[in-house]
Amino acid sequence: MPAPSTQAAASDLPTTRRAPKRTSFSEAAARAAQRLHLDRQLRFWVHELSPLSTPDRMLARVTGIHDETHDTKTFTLRAGRGWQGHTPGQFTNVDVEIDGVRQTRCYSVSSAPSSRHLSITVKRVSGGLVSNWLHDHLQVGDIIGISPADGDFVLPDDAATLLFIAAGSGITPMLSMARDLAARGAFEDTVMVYYARSADDLIAGDELSRIAAEHSGFRYVAIRDDAHDGTGGFDEARLRDMVPDLFDRAAFTCGPAGLMDRVEAMWRDAGVESRLQRERFTLPTLTDAGGDPNVERSVVLTSSGRTAEVTGGETILAGLERAGEKPAHGCRMGICKMCRCRKVSGSVRNVVTGEISDAPDQDIQICISAANSDLALAL
Amino acid sequence: MFRLQRNTQAPTISVELSEEEADAFGAELDALRAEIVADLGQSDVDHIRSIIRWCQYSEAGGRALLHFGIGPLSFVLGAGALTVSKILENMEIGHNIMHGQYDWTRDPELDSGTYDWDNACAAENWQHYHNFEHHKYTNILGKDRDIGYGLLRVSEEQEWNPSHLVQPISALILASLFQWGVAAHDLHVDEVRPNRKSVMALYERSRPFLKKARRQLAKDYLFFPALALANAPRVFAGNMIANFGRNLWTFAVIFCGHFPDGVRIYSEEECENESRGQWYARQINGSANIEGGRLFHIMTGHLSHQIEHHLFPQIPAARYPQIAERVQEICERYGQAYNTDSFGSQLGGVARKILRYALPGPARPQATAATA
Ligand SMILES: Cc1cc2nc3c(=O)[nH]c(=O)nc-3n(C[C@H](O)[C@H](O)[C@H](O)COP(=O)(O)OP(=O)(O)OC[C@H]3O[C@@H](n4cnc5c(N)ncnc54)[C@H](O)[C@@H]3O)c2cc1C
Repeated sequence: MPAPSTQAAASDLPTTRRAPKRTSFSEAAARAAQRLHLDRQLRFWVHELSPLSTPDRMLARVTGIHDETHDTKTFTLRAGRGWQGHTPGQFTNVDVEIDGVRQTRCYSVSSAPSSRHLSITVKRVSGGLVSNWLHDHLQVGDIIGISPADGDFVLPDDAATLLFIAAGSGITPMLSMARDLAARGAFEDTVMVYYARSADDLIAGDELSRIAAEHSGFRYVAIRDDAHDGTGGFDEARLRDMVPDLFDRAAFTCGPAGLMDRVEAMWRDAGVESRLQRERFTLPTLTDAGGDPNVERSVVLTSSGRTAEVTGGETILAGLERAGEKPAHGCRMGICKMCRCRKVSGSVRNVVTGEISDAPDQDIQICISAANSDLALAL
Repeated sequence: MFRLQRNTQAPTISVELSEEEADAFGAELDALRAEIVADLGQSDVDHIRSIIRWCQYSEAGGRALLHFGIGPLSFVLGAGALTVSKILENMEIGHNIMHGQYDWTRDPELDSGTYDWDNACAAENWQHYHNFEHHKYTNILGKDRDIGYGLLRVSEEQEWNPSHLVQPISALILASLFQWGVAAHDLHVDEVRPNRKSVMALYERSRPFLKKARRQLAKDYLFFPALALANAPRVFAGNMIANFGRNLWTFAVIFCGHFPDGVRIYSEEECENESRGQWYARQINGSANIEGGRLFHIMTGHLSHQIEHHLFPQIPAARYPQIAERVQEICERYGQAYNTDSFGSQLGGVARKILRYALPGPARPQATAATA
């Protein structure tokens, strides 16, 4: 298996934004097929003969799997039709079929940008459905679904001095950034502080050390919880000592919620919260926007004609699932937008921001919205 | 795959259930449903995908034989393969996907909201009229418009009118043009009055159908023949035979599902405020099964298990044979007739009714029992 860094060298286009689309022959064919109700046939046969070219779906073939740590694997993928590369820091929605049901999760792209290849680095979450399935069942040669890269956790255009604060699997988006900067020789002054449980839990630790050795503009510090000299774990004062100009830098953080909350508090207290970019892998503690778990709200699903009861104290997605509905969704935390649907009427509040949407015909994300009133949704 | 045993002990006329009995009956069927839903998984998806694969390969093979073949043998084989593919697509694949039987997979290819079958009847229209009117109001005279498709008199409860005299012939015409019959039926063509408003309303609700019909006709009778160049007439004829064959087959299967001997027709009053258990009983008494092997069931889209389909329209149809024995056993305990017979007998029963009810009578004040 080629080390991910060789891909970095082969990176052909660090795409930032997608170029306007040209109408290709295949698109014209797809349109004609649709006119004649032959689009299903077209999709079937293309998928049968060359799966990665399947129209209307973005697929990728697993080209390599390697162990990063005892509980983390990197899957390298050859992306199919439609993949336009990614900007370091962005994620893709991976979908796989588990026991007949399609499941979608976000994974940050951990490789440097490429128009053909990408890798994702997945840590087992205890009891987690998809992460464990990927570890236990995904094989080289298998085909999985991906989505165009998305997300705003990206480097600013004019960043000279950077600070990466990563913990655990939260290293993945910053790994992509570091690999990209290394491949382009673009480090000016970057510090990466990476927190992990032990030396065995460092993802790509050797590679990061090597990059640091080769690039004078990149300083890499690994901090382990199990360090015997008392320097382990996250500590505000030690971080400040290590990187005295931390608040002047464009800072990035990603890791477990507890650590991120503390980092966030530091930047907030210093009054420079806007200089800190965050990527959360899990839903932050819900802001309590007055949701009452004892209030029942009825939700009319206008497409299916069914009605379900949800409470004010849960997300609409969770409530609908409890009622036996299976609405489309992805990350369950307001990021991937796969659960977005039209709210025909009623009032909902965003449980992350507390924002209220009470005008009719607005699009809402049901995974981070709770019902303030009875609702009608175009589901 | 097993065949259902015809049980001579089984009741042929259902008893009326008391309210408590109906509730218990409904609870047993609900439990059966929950058990199957909990068990859905990979094998169900694998099944429908393999049928889709068969359907696609037989369509491609059939069209290739029609387009490139020479002589009658390749024509017959080609038209046959295309017919099989069209039947699979409409019955086991399209009908069942559009019922939402595979929505739980979250696979867009199997999604009831977006699937549109290879049929003149537009998915939007069908989903409303079939999924809603027919499945909810099954066999309620005046509500379920599928009773005789507004054209045929198939029960004594339907009022006779002189047009029924020619219904043996109208039935044959309906059978050969069945997809167009269903499409027109779903558009309520029979309700159009000779005034501008009514005709405009028909035009409005026909839009999805007109678009669909245009494309369907263009595909089979312009696009593929044109592609075949010199073989155009062959391709045209082959496509026509395939559509015709599918029409006859679906007509036969569907009429056997609701109109053989022993199937009961309900009045609106009987069904007012009915409980879930009573609704289940009506579904059973208003439907009939056809016996056959695994291949036969697949070719009917498992509508040969019309009873199970009407009880559980959203459970993947390939599960029906597996639950039929249990449904039959529950029915027996509650004294509900479980109408199942061979294709020949059920079809014979339908034919007899179409002939018998072409003539007026027999007059009966109120329908409660079956005619058999
Ligand atoms: C933008 C974004 C980028 C991401 N990038 C990566 C990545 O690069 N690598 C990676 O391994 N994961 C990443 N994730 C997390 C990933 O999407 C999944 O949430 C994770 O793999 C768990 O999925 P699962 O199906 O195994 O667990 P589920 O079955 O969904 O969850 C099981 C339980 O675990 C909890 N849980 C879910 N995720 C975590 C977590 N990360 N830590 C602790 N508890 C959790 C859930 O709350 C739930 O209680 C990212 C998430 C987001 C939103």
